[in-house]
Amino acid sequence: MEGKIIVVTSGKGGVGKTTATASIGAALALEGNRVAVIDMDIGLRNLDVVLGLENRIVFNIVDVVNKRCNLSQALIRDRRIENLFLVPASQSDNKDVLTPLGVQRVAKQLKSEFDYVIMDSPAGIEKGFENSVVAADEAIVICTPDVSSIRDADRVIGLLYARSITPRLVVNRIIPEMVARGDMLSHEDVMDVLSIDLLGLVPMDDQVVVSTNTGMPLVMQNQSLAGQAFRRIAKRINGEPEIPIQVPTAMKTGFWSKITQKLGLTK
Amino acid sequence: MLNGLMKKFAGKKSSKDTAKKRLQFALVYDKLEINEMTLESLQKDIVEVISKYFEIDTKSLQLEVQREQELSALVFNTPILCVKKNRAYNSQKT
Ligand SMILES: Nc1ncnc2c1ncn2[C@@H]1O[C@H](COP(=O)(O)OP(=O)(O)OP(=O)(O)O)[C@@H](O)[C@H]1O
Ligand SMILES: [Mg+2]
Repeated sequence: MEGKIIVVTSGKGGVGKTTATASIGAALALEGNRVAVIDMDIGLRNLDVVLGLENRIVFNIVDVVNKRCNLSQALIRDRRIENLFLVPASQSDNKDVLTPLGVQRVAKQLKSEFDYVIMDSPAGIEKGFENSVVAADEAIVICTPDVSSIRDADRVIGLLYARSITPRLVVNRIIPEMVARGDMLSHEDVMDVLSIDLLGLVPMDDQVVVSTNTGMPLVMQNQSLAGQAFRRIAKRINGEPEIPIQVPTAMKTGFWSKITQKLGLTK
Repeated sequence: MLNGLMKKFAGKKSSKDTAKKRLQFALVYDKLEINEMTLESLQKDIVEVISKYFEIDTKSLQLEVQREQELSALVFNTPILCVKKNRAYNSQKT
């Protein structure tokens, strides 16, 4: 059976595309799927470091598309998570070296060898975006609960609809305390503004930075709330759409933490 | 939570409500923007159709989108030099 190509995109930069690609890819592999994650951010590769695979790069996606090597030579196998593979981006080229036609050819081969192929798109809506979405069957749009990111998401959603792709939304970096205070858009507000289905809600989580520091996949850290959110998103993608979407809530502050906060003993 | 409630009672709008209003307006406004290429090809088509019926001065015509707070309008301005009588008659017959 043919696999599925899912593009992760956002318009705006720095909202969590690479984090989401790495986490959803790893989680889908943990569910028992054969997964390839592809870094389409040519010239600014990062998916490799987020997954802790940076020191094993020999070939990259540009080499594959331009036939300088076989697909199998560019696939880096993750040693901690079975069935997870990375095709890194090239760091020296610029985004124009790939053509939609070339990407489509490689995508076809990837589809025949994997259950899921996840494309980490660069920020923006130019050529790099074009190359990332050209072969996509599905799309995940990432936004954060702020005005500029949501506006950019709306633009990208329009571009995806124009290509007959119906995207689903992940709201990342939610700070429940700010939502409760009325100083951050809630996911309901975001859904009111954008016409798109919701795929998941991911809280702001220090563990994301810790995981990038160490190169240990976020979804393998059981205490990480963001990691748990991404695992549920992966399940929803992987034939369990009924898994409920959990709304991030503020940490329950116990008696002692309240006292220490009052006394200024905690930050 | 309490904070949010207090703000509601005090009648003060929370910043996210302002954000939502601004966003909704921006998204509508963004979609009204028409790019140059669309405008140019629209102008070409309009001229073609109008030229079937009227002799127009193609040099002094104007096509623009006028935008105001509440509504936008497409405005096409052209001086008519004369009506093409034959054309109107012929098209009535067919
Ligand atoms: N849920 C989260 N909690 C805390 N930090 C986060 C979260 N998601 C992402 N980050 C941090 O935000 C930064 C940007 O994330 P990431 O690199 O995934 O974004 P991106 O959309 O891929 O960026 P770019 O557009 O540059 O490719 C990183 O430092 C990452 O660790
Ligand atoms: Mg990235």
